[in-house]
Amino acid sequence: MIKVENLTKQFKKNVVLKNISLSIEQNEVIVVIGPSGGGKSTFLRCLNSLEKPTFGKIYFNDLDINDKNNDINKIREKISMVFQQFNLFPHKTALENIILAPIKLNIMNIEEATKRGIELLDLVGLSDKANEYPKNLSGGQKQRVAIARSLAMQPDVILFDEPTSALDPEMIKEVLDVMKGLVGKVTMIVVTHEMNFAKEVGTRLLFLDSGEVIEDSKPLAFFNDPQTDRAKSFLDKIL
Amino acid sequence: MILLDISKLYDFSFFFNQQVILDLISGLFCTLSIAFFGIIIGIIIGIILAIGKLVGNKFVRGVVTVYINFVRGTPLLLQLYMLYYVPAFIWHEMSGASLNWSNYIVGMLAVGLNSAAYVGEIFRAGINSVDKGQFEAASSLGFDYKTSLKLIIMPQAIKNILPALGNEFIALTKETAIISVIGARDLMFYSKQATAITYNPFTPLFMAGILYFIVVYSLTKGVSIIERKFAND
Repeated sequence: MIKVENLTKQFKKNVVLKNISLSIEQNEVIVVIGPSGGGKSTFLRCLNSLEKPTFGKIYFNDLDINDKNNDINKIREKISMVFQQFNLFPHKTALENIILAPIKLNIMNIEEATKRGIELLDLVGLSDKANEYPKNLSGGQKQRVAIARSLAMQPDVILFDEPTSALDPEMIKEVLDVMKGLVGKVTMIVVTHEMNFAKEVGTRLLFLDSGEVIEDSKPLAFFNDPQTDRAKSFLDKIL
Repeated sequence: MILLDISKLYDFSFFFNQQVILDLISGLFCTLSIAFFGIIIGIIIGIILAIGKLVGNKFVRGVVTVYINFVRGTPLLLQLYMLYYVPAFIWHEMSGASLNWSNYIVGMLAVGLNSAAYVGEIFRAGINSVDKGQFEAASSLGFDYKTSLKLIIMPQAIKNILPALGNEFIALTKETAIISVIGARDLMFYSKQATAITYNPFTPLFMAGILYFIVVYSLTKGVSIIERKFAND
């Protein structure tokens, strides 16, 4: 579904990603972990072309997403993203946040989109917050609305960029629970520091450090028996 | 020996000079229309400048930057003279004929083109003040740049843009007085003329001052009403 070939990303002279190649299959739940500054977020942001690779190519369903001949906006309709800072639209209500894109991009008419939007709010447990503005929602509620918004486009892939890092501890679970509910329905790529989530839910784990994929394995195998010294020292520090 | 005839200082006799009053009123309309069209020119060209600076290629951005820096870095009076003399000079050198550009139009263009630089910066700064994450969220849903700007960014930027824009228009209205130096018949022009006719600097200038004040004060009030309305949304 997604194919990454020799992805290298530099900011000026600073090499953030070094020659990463891998492919991602449908309905995988990939957790990306590693130390801060290791390139996790940049890797994720390259997958929907929010960052352009310095070298290398990324294919989504065999389309080169950075090829000018392919409409990146059409591709992005199928690759949603959930951000650390939620990035809800503050001038729209929770429901409007969810239905804006499907309506304005002519995917659904207003009635369909509203019906689907209400279903999605129900799915994330916020039916009663449809008409609230983001400023009246807690962090966890905002992030759940953001997940509903990303689902509204019926994407094939959702990229989660540290979705719980900006949340108070007691709100992390409600967001992770919503994410667990999506397993098997959509391909998920999750940059996270939630090791229990990675262990429990991930079908595959990427350990990124200094811009390289150091380990690409099953989560349980990674946590129980890391193959590299760098992974071992990382796990020593966090567990 | 009387050194100073105090009574002359408050000689209001010209109030009864109908011609002077009519002149001042026509001057007021000239000032208002210059301000109005100056604002229109300022907004239209200002938006074009802002778009050029935000999405233009290197060349466009360079041209816009030079223009904005020039306008903001030199006196309006200089720009007015340049616009008044330079095109006429070039036209004369090239065709031998004289250029009959009305000083009203020149004044309006000078004020508008000057304001455009400030308006451009106001729009650019307003758009940049919106969190980058908003653009990213909009892009990640599949919106192109133009649609993101329209649906997501501008509704948020407008709160920052409006107060600054209102202040710019108030300043512009006052600065239109400068066009009297090229002979455009605005309020300033007629108040100076009345001074010359009546040998009385006090009353014409004071009356012009009151008229300017009424206009600018109403604008200030209007702007703050609009601001409050947007701040509440």
